[in-house]
Amino acid sequence: MASFELIEPQSVEEALVALDSDDPAVRPMGGGTALMLMMKAQLFAPTRLVSLRGIGGGFSGFSLSGDGETFCIGAMTTFSELEQSVEIARHLPVITQTMKTLANVRVRNVATVGGNLAHGDPHLDLPPVWTTLGARVRIIGQSGERVIPVEELFVGYYETSLEPGELIAQVLVPVRPDWRSFYAKVTTRAEHDWPALGLAVSVLPEGERIADVSIVLSAAVDRPTRLVNAENVLRGSVLCDEVLTRAGEAAVAETDIETDNRGSSAYKKQLLRVHLGRAIRKVMGA
Amino acid sequence: MSTTRTIRFTLNGRAVAADVAAGETIVDMLTLRFDLKGARESCGQGLCGCCTVTVDGMAVSGCLSMAWFLDGTSVETIEGIGTGGALDPVQEAFIEAGAFQCGFCTPGFIMMVRQLLDAHPDPDDEEVRHYLTGNLCRCSAYPEILTAVKLAAAKRKKLAA
Ligand SMILES: Cc1cc2nc3c(=O)[nH]c(=O)nc-3n(C[C@H](O)[C@H](O)[C@H](O)COP(=O)(O)OP(=O)(O)OC[C@H]3O[C@@H](n4cnc5c(N)ncnc54)[C@H](O)[C@@H]3O)c2cc1C
Ligand code: FES
Ligand code: FES
Repeated sequence: MASFELIEPQSVEEALVALDSDDPAVRPMGGGTALMLMMKAQLFAPTRLVSLRGIGGGFSGFSLSGDGETFCIGAMTTFSELEQSVEIARHLPVITQTMKTLANVRVRNVATVGGNLAHGDPHLDLPPVWTTLGARVRIIGQSGERVIPVEELFVGYYETSLEPGELIAQVLVPVRPDWRSFYAKVTTRAEHDWPALGLAVSVLPEGERIADVSIVLSAAVDRPTRLVNAENVLRGSVLCDEVLTRAGEAAVAETDIETDNRGSSAYKKQLLRVHLGRAIRKVMGA
Repeated sequence: MSTTRTIRFTLNGRAVAADVAAGETIVDMLTLRFDLKGARESCGQGLCGCCTVTVDGMAVSGCLSMAWFLDGTSVETIEGIGTGGALDPVQEAFIEAGAFQCGFCTPGFIMMVRQLLDAHPDPDDEEVRHYLTGNLCRCSAYPEILTAVKLAAAKRKKLAA
């Protein structure tokens, strides 16, 4: 590994200064798991890494806002911290559920919420989940702060809307006690393989009726994608086979699923039809 | 330019120091600077667990973690477990259950099983399988490893009683 500079700023301001460079090989570092993989595979050779471990502020820890309506999760929160939190299990149980099949204990001990989002890999499990939960990200840069919906962070394959030098500071998740969410990690080889498709769904049930719904597909597409037409079929409908079939067809029609080494396009489309129906039944308690 | 630094940390109970480069992995540092070869690199990608060490009591993949950040921490490797010449109960259990063939994966498994038993002192099969998904054994000693975990849990309980 070629020699590079490693900096450990003690505040957000210092970090932003250290990142202020035209050199694309100057990068922030969270848990470093994705960076180390890329560096070891010689896909990336940094000139400077800026570790966010010591910067404190809203970057570490997580808590419920004073009004009880938003969970604010610092970007440096590790997956193990989320997994072991009683508060997360109570308010955001789908996050606890997703951790069960995400990587392994050692990776979860170091990988961070911010690094996971900034990586922009469409196969990751949490981005579709944050999206279906209606989460937003707080982004900090030299020119100030902005808050955007998680789905606006992803603009393409490994491509995000972060400007050079900008940092993800927090994920802001609305607490919606009446909604129910589920993440289906659909793998086609080993259970712990990268998913052929990731499907995150949230519904607001009203008896048998789906009062509101959000569906996000990942892995089979170049970025986490809302399935708006499928949502429209389901929204306001009473749960039944016919509606689920129509939603599955709408989902397949509105996405551009390509063949890759996890399955042919036709196969993955069938997976989408089947798993969408199952996921909706599951969250509707049917 | 901070491309190297001196780190001071506790290694298996002993205060040590090392000059490390940015990007140098924990497993490279242990092998090359401390001649400790129990944690070894196999997949190099965080998947197999052969390089498992604990940092302040938390398991990490030594192949994906930079030695740089060990400053001020306490690191434990397979060479440091057990007390006064006696084997750790998990080591004993692995021997009694014959939970290895070539032994390449064994240090990593033993380090992870100790973590597993800290988190779940009396794990069921499902908990063991889930916790150890990040440890691979090419000789496929999995059934014996499962037995060893149960045995180790019993040994620990007996010691604690
Ligand atoms: C063995 C293994 C198995 C895995 N299995 C899974 C799995 O099953 N499911 C899954 O979803 N993922 C899996 N992963 C991927 C893992 O989730 C990511 O590697 C991890 O989330 C990245 O987080 P990090 O903190 O380590 O990021 P880093 O490596 O620190 O950073 C990743 C990228 O984000 C940037 N960055 C970091 N923090 C910030 C920030 N706050 N603001 C802006 N940019 C930032 C970095 O510059 C870099 O470009 C696996 C990884 C490994 C090694
Ligand atoms: S060598 Fe580190 S996990 Fe395989
Ligand atoms: S005993 Fe040979 S790899 Fe596990």
